[in-house]
Amino acid sequence: MIKLEIEKRKNVGLVWQVLSFIIALFAAMIVTGCLLYWAGLDAIEAFLAVYEGAFVGVEAIVETLVRATPLILTGLATVVAFRASVWNIGQEGQLVLGAIFGFWVSMEFSYLPYYLLIPLVIVAGFVGGGALGALCGWLKSRYDVSEIISTVMLNYVVIYLLTYLISGPWMAPGEFYLHTAPLSENSILPTLLEDTRLHGGFLISIVAAIGIHVLINKTSFGYDIKAFGYNSVACKFKGMNVPRTLVLLMMISGGLSGLAGAGELFGVQDRLSGSIAQNLGFTGILVAMCGGLSPLGTLLAAILFGGLVNGGFMMQILTGVPASMVYVMQAVVLLFFLCSGLMATFRIRIIIQKRVKQ
Amino acid sequence: MIELLSEGIIISILAATIRIASPLILAALGELICERGGVVNLSIEGMMYMGAFVGFFITWKTESPITGILAGAVSGMLVSLIMAFMVVTLKLKQFVTGLAINLLSAGLVVFWYRLFGLSSGKDVISIKILQTIKIPFLSEIPYLGKIAFEQNIVTYFTYLMVLVVWYFLYRTKFGLELRCLGENPASIDMKGLRVEIRQYCAVLFGGLMAGMAGAFLSAGSSFRFVPGMTAGRGWLVIVIVIAGNWNPKLIMMAAMLFALLDAFQLHVQAIGINFPYQILLALPYVVAILAVMFSRSKSNAPAHAGIPYIRECS
Repeated sequence: MIKLEIEKRKNVGLVWQVLSFIIALFAAMIVTGCLLYWAGLDAIEAFLAVYEGAFVGVEAIVETLVRATPLILTGLATVVAFRASVWNIGQEGQLVLGAIFGFWVSMEFSYLPYYLLIPLVIVAGFVGGGALGALCGWLKSRYDVSEIISTVMLNYVVIYLLTYLISGPWMAPGEFYLHTAPLSENSILPTLLEDTRLHGGFLISIVAAIGIHVLINKTSFGYDIKAFGYNSVACKFKGMNVPRTLVLLMMISGGLSGLAGAGELFGVQDRLSGSIAQNLGFTGILVAMCGGLSPLGTLLAAILFGGLVNGGFMMQILTGVPASMVYVMQAVVLLFFLCSGLMATFRIRIIIQKRVKQ
Repeated sequence: MIELLSEGIIISILAATIRIASPLILAALGELICERGGVVNLSIEGMMYMGAFVGFFITWKTESPITGILAGAVSGMLVSLIMAFMVVTLKLKQFVTGLAINLLSAGLVVFWYRLFGLSSGKDVISIKILQTIKIPFLSEIPYLGKIAFEQNIVTYFTYLMVLVVWYFLYRTKFGLELRCLGENPASIDMKGLRVEIRQYCAVLFGGLMAGMAGAFLSAGSSFRFVPGMTAGRGWLVIVIVIAGNWNPKLIMMAAMLFALLDAFQLHVQAIGINFPYQILLALPYVVAILAVMFSRSKSNAPAHAGIPYIRECS
C-alpha cells in the first residue's frame, strides 16, 4: 500500500527557494503572455525584446545595473524592517526625503570640494530617510501607531512637500517646468565606467548589501531584529529595549531608502524634480519579498527586476507594447512566488507499506 | 481668507464634503466588513484604482455612468477574488498579499491606459458623469436642502449603506457570526459553520464597495481619468476604519471629517488664495496619524483580524 503524507518542513532550503522563484517567474510569464495575447500582441516577441534589452551586451547589462541600484537599497530597507515583522511600506517617502535632504545639503555647501561634498550629500540622504523612518518607529513604540498607517500617510506628506519645494522656494527661476536649478557640478557622483550611467551609488548599494548581510546574520542587533520578528512579546519579557530596537531598525531601514534617493538624484538625475518618485520604493518591497528577505537574495532579485524595467523600454521601442507591462509582470511574479513558496514549505512523503503475508 | 466665510461658499464646501465623503464611506464600509470577518485587506487602494479605471472606460464606451459605476464595482470584486483566494484558501500573509495586489492593479491600470492609447493625443477624453438628483420637497429646505439633497444617486446609496451595514452587523444572525469571526474564528468553526465561505463573502463585499468607490471618483465626480487618481484614498480608508473604531456610524463621521478638509482645500485652491495649498493637501494624512495616535484607548479592533485561521488538527 502506498500512502502519501503531507508534512510541514521546518526550514525551507535555498534550493527550494530558488526553485519556487523560477516556477513563479515562468507562471508570471504565462499569465502576462495571456494578457498580451488577449490584447492582440505577440507575447513571445515581447519577452525576447525584454531579454535583449536587459541582458544582451555590455551596454544593456550596465544599464540594468543602473536600474537595479535604487532597487537594491529600497529592497534592503524592506529586508531590515520585514525581518522584524515591522511592515515599513514608506520606502517611497523615505527615498524622496533622502533626495530632498541631499539636495538641500548640496545647495548649502556647494562651495565645498567634491571629495567633501559627495560624502556629505550621501550622509544627508541617509539622515533624511532615516529620520522619517525613526519617526515612524517612535510613533509605533510610544503611541502604538501601526507603522503601516504612519509610513503610508507620511509617503503622501513627503510627496506634497516635494511638490511644494519644487513649485515654490526651490523652483528654478524663470522656468516653466516644476524642477530646481541643476545640481552643482561637484556634488554629482562619479561614474564607474566611462560613457555609461553606472554611478558610484552602485558601489554603495553593494557595500550596503554586504553590510546588511553581516548585520542580520552576525551581530547581536541582527539577532534582536529576527527575534522581534518571531515573537515581539517574548522579546519584551526577555528585557529587550523594544523602543530603542524599533527606532533603530526603522532608522536603518529608512536610511537605506534615503541612500537610494540620494543615489538616484546625484547619480542619474541632473536636478530635483517630481520624477525622483517613480515607484522605486514600492518595487523595493517586491524585490525584497522575491529575494526571500535575505540581503543577497534581494541583490539578485533587484538585478533581475532592474533588468525587467530596462528591458521594458526596449520592448516598447521594438514591439510597441507599453513598457508598463513589466510592472504587471513584477507584481504577478510576487503573487506566484508567495503561492509557490507555500508549496515549498510542505513536502510530500511517500510511504510504502508492504503487506505482510499471513 | 475672508472670502471663504460667505454663505454661498460655506454651502458649497458642505455639499462638497457630503460628495467627497461618499467614496471614502463606501470603501470604508467594505473594509469594515472584511476586518470584522478577520481579514485585513490592504489592497483597497488597488481595488479603488481598478474601479476608477474600469468605471471610466465603460462609461466612455457605453456613455452611461451608471453602467460604468456598476462595472467598476464588479472589477473591484474580481480583484478582491484574488485576495480572497490567497488569504482565505491559501492562508498567506494578509499584509504582503494586499501590497502585492495593490501593485498588480496599479500595473494593470497603467498598462491598459497606455495600451488603449488613452494617454496619447492632445484632447483629453472626458466622459459623462452621474447627474445630480434633486429630491422633491427635501431639496427645498433652506441651506440643508442644497447641502444634502442635491447629490447623485451613488451618494444617496452610500448613506443608505451605512444603515444597511449597521443593521446587518448588529441586528442579524449573519452579522453576529461575522463579528464573531473576527474575534474568535475557532468558535464559528466549532459550531459547524464554515469559516471560509463567510470570509470569502466578506472580502468580495469589500471589493465590490471599493470598486464602486473608485468608479465614483472617475464616473461619479470628475470627467476624466488620470493615472494615480486615487491618490492614497484607499489607505486613508484603512485609517478611517481605525479612527471610526470599527463602527459604521463613527466611520461615517470620520470619513466626513477627512472630506471636509479636502473640500476646504479645493475651495481655497479654486478661489485662488495665496497660500501653499500643498499644506492643506497633506493635512488629511497628518490628521490621520494623529487620529490613530489618540484613538487607541477603548479600541474595538477585532482580535483575530489579520491572522489567517488554520484549524487545529488532531
